[in-house]
Amino acid sequence: MFNIKQAFSDFNYIFVEELKTIIRDKGVIIFFFLVPLGYPLLYTFIYTNEVVREVPIAVVDNCRSAQSREYLRHLDASPDVKIISYCANITEAKSLIKHRDAYGVVSIPRDFSEKLNRGEQVYVSAFADMSGMLYYKSVLTANTNVSLAMNADIKVKRSGGTTAQQDQVAEHPIQYEEVSIYNPQNGFATFLIPAVLILIIQQTLLLGVGMAAGTAREHNRFRNLVPVERHHRGLLRIVLGKGMAYLLVYIPLSVYILGIIPHLFHLNQIGNPWNIALFIMPFLIASVLFAMTVSAFVRHREMCIMLIVFTSVPLLFISGLSWPGSAVPEAWKAISYIFPSSFGINGFVAINNMGAELGDVQHDWYMLWVQAFIYLITTCAVYKASILRSRQRNIEAWKAEK
Amino acid sequence: MNWRLLCREWKRIATQPIYIFCMVIAPLFCYFFFTSLMKEGLPENLPMGLVDEDHTTTTRNLARNLDAFQMSDITQEFANVTDARKAMQRGEIYGFYLIPHGTTKQAQLQRVPTVSFYTNYSYLVAGSLLYRDMRMMSELASGAASRTVLYAKGATERQAMAYLQPIVIDMHAVGNPWLNYNVYLSNIIIPGMLGIFIFMTTVYSLGTELKFNTSDELMAESNNSIIVALSTKLLPQTIIFLLMGSIYVLLLYGYLHFPCNCGIPRMWSVMALFVLACQGFGVFMFTMLPTLRMGLSFASLWGVISFSISGMSFPVMAMHPILQGVSLLFPLRHYYLLYVNSALDGYALANAWPYVLAMIGFMMLPIPFLGRLKKVMNTYAYEP
Repeated sequence: MFNIKQAFSDFNYIFVEELKTIIRDKGVIIFFFLVPLGYPLLYTFIYTNEVVREVPIAVVDNCRSAQSREYLRHLDASPDVKIISYCANITEAKSLIKHRDAYGVVSIPRDFSEKLNRGEQVYVSAFADMSGMLYYKSVLTANTNVSLAMNADIKVKRSGGTTAQQDQVAEHPIQYEEVSIYNPQNGFATFLIPAVLILIIQQTLLLGVGMAAGTAREHNRFRNLVPVERHHRGLLRIVLGKGMAYLLVYIPLSVYILGIIPHLFHLNQIGNPWNIALFIMPFLIASVLFAMTVSAFVRHREMCIMLIVFTSVPLLFISGLSWPGSAVPEAWKAISYIFPSSFGINGFVAINNMGAELGDVQHDWYMLWVQAFIYLITTCAVYKASILRSRQRNIEAWKAEK
Repeated sequence: MNWRLLCREWKRIATQPIYIFCMVIAPLFCYFFFTSLMKEGLPENLPMGLVDEDHTTTTRNLARNLDAFQMSDITQEFANVTDARKAMQRGEIYGFYLIPHGTTKQAQLQRVPTVSFYTNYSYLVAGSLLYRDMRMMSELASGAASRTVLYAKGATERQAMAYLQPIVIDMHAVGNPWLNYNVYLSNIIIPGMLGIFIFMTTVYSLGTELKFNTSDELMAESNNSIIVALSTKLLPQTIIFLLMGSIYVLLLYGYLHFPCNCGIPRMWSVMALFVLACQGFGVFMFTMLPTLRMGLSFASLWGVISFSISGMSFPVMAMHPILQGVSLLFPLRHYYLLYVNSALDGYALANAWPYVLAMIGFMMLPIPFLGRLKKVMNTYAYEP
């Protein structure tokens, strides 16, 4: 007989029991509190400088004229690179690269000023160490900027205009302006951290819920996920009771991770908080239920660490943030739909970094609800299977005792 | 060598699926995942938008040229900036180019019109690549306008180019001329993943001895010698991980032909150093935090942070000075520096001796703490 009062009382009991488990279990505390509180701080701290400045480079000035010195002076003055040595030849510069004292070399040809004065084109060679793309970017940006600025000056001089307006036309008949939108510093933290924050929520949920499930099994006489006793009867009240407990823990945590951390480190935060809250809700629900489904496959407490931790790195790459989504192969894209983080990252970045409205991310939002629904069904299915198995084992044990 | 103990270890690995998963299946999956995800090397045809308010032959020509660039692909045209911004917020495009009304007319009247381009750096890789094309295009657009005038005045092409662009930058990306992201990232991420598995497997294999109360048996079999117990226990794992390491070395440098200027054998030795260093560090982790839960948490933290702090994506020199020191405590940091020294730049290992020394240091790290480990194995009990 279905009794609504009994159902609520069971739900309450399971809800409170699960909260107690969370607080009592040291392993769960690590993943539900320590990691979500500490890890975002550590991670953001690593990237907090956002950009690389003053990459050390060596230069070889074979021309040694006023113009070549002007070029190098401008280069040294640019924010991206710093000249640490004026070498006599390329071999000397190479030895600086070899000992990792310099990360790039700029070489000015012997006929630099000669060719410029003759009105011919001249090539400046720049070499970048490819151990990091940012070194390459710094060396390229600095040289491009300096050469374009000097080119403009040279053009103005050669054109021999008389008015400022004529000079400007000679310099650039069509002006252009570049706008870095949604990440004005072109920074690394602003770009990577929002994705990492969403991943931290999903992964710690998987780890914590997995560990709680592992503990439940180990404490249980028959290694079952769900104990056979008075309060653990209705399937839905077990799933919802536990799920609500996890959700209750993660709502304040999400406020901290997604709201306070970006604020502390001055990351982009132009989204409407209500939009973020509305978007994160299905993400949390889907993640909790996904974690509960996965937890049914965890036999020992510690096993979930071995199974889950390593997936963080592939999940970050597959989300379309660090590797452009348009370049992710279709097969991997399809696999990424299994994980709430894929939609969560895209939607959160759109709202938080780019100030999108909820309507702009409706695809991600709907998909998260679809995931939440699917994982509710799968969680019920795996719990049902577990309950049936534990009943069977109880009956067998009872028969054996008799 | 204690054969019975060795057999016991092999049997454990063979019969517990978690070992097979962490030592073989998951690493192989990661090898395949990263190399296939970034198969393209350098992302091409990134979607971008165009807001052409001018609609003249000149602006259409400009758009066509921009579309023809390698990285960018104009997938949508918008009536105004608001629409383009909305598409950007929906994640459909990574940037857009704006040609305001009257650009052509003003250019012909020599009134210096301004065009602009917007790049979304929330997607840093895509944004940077698009930026390069859009900036180049803007320079060319300006040049094209001047060039027409120069040709009309009777300049040759060479003279015109020398006037438009007196100084040209000849950029060389040493070691990775294609700017291949697969080469740049997979070379470190793949060993990094293997490192995580080594940390975890080492801690797990030692921790489960306590958890399932088999540590007494282990110590008794090895005549209460921690050296025998530890070395026999780790040897099968060393063999398997060296094998897995050889697979990635062959995959990256043999099959995918990533640049390996030092030859495969030297890179193999760097890999072997890394595997042993990670094992040594794994033992150290367990000795310091001899509960399975804490040990594995330590291993996960160290393993995952390795990627960020190794400096492959964000240079260590740009981090906080404290972190610059801390980065030396991660085997992956030294692996990265050895890889740059050997495979990328082709210098001898002797040139990077401090990092080799650090790897050996990680390997030897458990030795001073063997006494503690012995006590742990003999007396500690599992606590959940």
